[in-house]
Amino acid sequence: MLIDIKDIYKIYNEGKESEVRALDGVSLQIDRGEFVAIVGQSGSGKSTLMNVLGCLDIPTYGDYFLDGTDVTALGDRKLARIRNREIGFIFQGYNLIQELDALENVILPLIYRGVPVWDREDMAMEALEKVGMADRAHHRPSEMSGGQQQRVAIARAIAAHPPIIMADEPTGALDSKTGKHVLEILRDLYREGNTILLITHDEGIAATAKRVVRLSDGKIISDAPQEVDWT
Amino acid sequence: MNLFQAFKMAFKSIAHKKTRSFLTMLGIIIGVASVVIMVSVVQGQNQKNLEYFEKMGNNKISVDAYYFYSSEGGNEVFQSLYDYCLGMQDLVVGVTPNIQTYQDMTIKYGGKTVSTQNYENWEDMITVVLGSDQYGACNNYTLANGRELSYLDIQNTNNVCVLGGRLKETLFNFVDPVGETITINGQPFLVVGWYERKDLEGWPELDNMILLPYTFNRTLNQNSPINSFVVKAKNAEATVEAMTKLDAFLASMFPKDADGIPTIGDYYIRSDNASAESIQQQSNMQALVLGAIAGISLLVGGIGIMNIMLVTVTERTREIGIRKAIGAERRSIIAQFLIEAAVICGIGGVLGIGIGYVGTLIAGKFLLQGTMLLPSAGITIGAFAFSVVLGVIFGIYPAIKASGLQPVEALRAE
Repeated sequence: MLIDIKDIYKIYNEGKESEVRALDGVSLQIDRGEFVAIVGQSGSGKSTLMNVLGCLDIPTYGDYFLDGTDVTALGDRKLARIRNREIGFIFQGYNLIQELDALENVILPLIYRGVPVWDREDMAMEALEKVGMADRAHHRPSEMSGGQQQRVAIARAIAAHPPIIMADEPTGALDSKTGKHVLEILRDLYREGNTILLITHDEGIAATAKRVVRLSDGKIISDAPQEVDWT
Repeated sequence: MNLFQAFKMAFKSIAHKKTRSFLTMLGIIIGVASVVIMVSVVQGQNQKNLEYFEKMGNNKISVDAYYFYSSEGGNEVFQSLYDYCLGMQDLVVGVTPNIQTYQDMTIKYGGKTVSTQNYENWEDMITVVLGSDQYGACNNYTLANGRELSYLDIQNTNNVCVLGGRLKETLFNFVDPVGETITINGQPFLVVGWYERKDLEGWPELDNMILLPYTFNRTLNQNSPINSFVVKAKNAEATVEAMTKLDAFLASMFPKDADGIPTIGDYYIRSDNASAESIQQQSNMQALVLGAIAGISLLVGGIGIMNIMLVTVTERTREIGIRKAIGAERRSIIAQFLIEAAVICGIGGVLGIGIGYVGTLIAGKFLLQGTMLLPSAGITIGAFAFSVVLGVIFGIYPAIKASGLQPVEALRAE
């Protein structure tokens, strides 16, 4: 089992009148090589779930085993290592660093990973080629369209070849054509054996995943595989 | 992430926000420049003082006494003072009368003429000094060639003289004057020796002098009393002791009335040791006060940096979130902001040192009589190191603050 969470709670303002249970006892298992869509309305807790799964946030209660490791017991350095080596993030707002050009943005996780300087650029260029952005390597984010920025963000997520890709509304800010292109890239990554976690509120996009987990009010209300036709 | 990479990132980030980076640096630039200038000026002043005392001679006591009545009695009084000084053999190295002639003197050699009354160019004015065989020793002169006046020269009032270094050059150029004869107001004088130049700034008369046996006082100064002596003591303690003794002796010689008013004469005893000490104390004080002022301006600069760094951290919270999300460790974030602060301060320090150099040159020109004054290597290195350390100190708090954020909280920031 790659991802194994048991009874995860994320509670804000616990014990107060304003208590919010963003995650209310969520248990979920995901195997290596799955393509899972986590679907829910806004406020359903799906982004919180991704943050917890991606080690960007700490659950209030519950156990989280990533590839057999108890993540909740890890310190800052080990968590940073997991975020760097195990998981590639794709955000709705791209989250590129504005001062750096496309190539430098893609290189950044490789720097933190300690990849030797002579390998970094090759690895980053390879990732940019994969998303069709090699010709824009020296453009700043402000010089690119939303779709292009998102493709650079995907390149950054996959540059270090992490086994898990987590995408939080990756098409949310894109028009349907470029959105389709981004989903195409995710499918390619899936075919290469990566584990894909796709968070979305869009049923149309959820319909393209091999397994759909539905969230409402911080609880899983359904979890089922589905047949999809990707041709 | 290695150090080189961290520096590269810091430079990039600074270059990307030039105006703000410069404004941040401004405090450090001004602070470092003022520290460099102030310390350099004080050091320059100290050096000048030190040079002065070295050339004037240490452990030198000047004794001036004034007899209110007829010169006849006066001469006796001063002879006994001279004898008393000579009597302190265990304390002193030498004793000499230290007086000048007050009338017009014209000194000639070959076709060259110099005068004691050259007011056109005071630097060329000649001083005719009357002293003993110990004059050179008492006043820290070094013989270039020949000999000092001798005891017999004094006793017999021989027509001999010793020349100061500049006067020798004026009259003889590069020729050795020993054995030559010059004339003073038409009277022939044999040159028996000449002193090396002291070249003490502001004191050309020390080298533009001609020394005659003090017994010429009778003819050249109309036998006015010899009322000024220089006593050279063996060391600093001997100076103090000799001064105490002289004070007691002169106090008994010139008694005061019930109101403390001198009756028949008055006296002053002064040593450069005391003024050297007080000047040293003064300049230490100056250095302290100026250093404190400059330090405060540096501190203000540092606080400015901390403010800007705090704002920067707040502004860049999202960037910090992104960096953490893709695997930056806490210490990488701390290193990034620390290095950024240190680089800003380092560049500011270099600019400040540059301005400090120019400022020191200008200050040397106007405050220290045109001395070519430059900051010492110590100040330069110190100021640079200090500004970098300041950057690190004031960068730590924002850096720790930035690195402690949860990635998700940082990412939420706009």
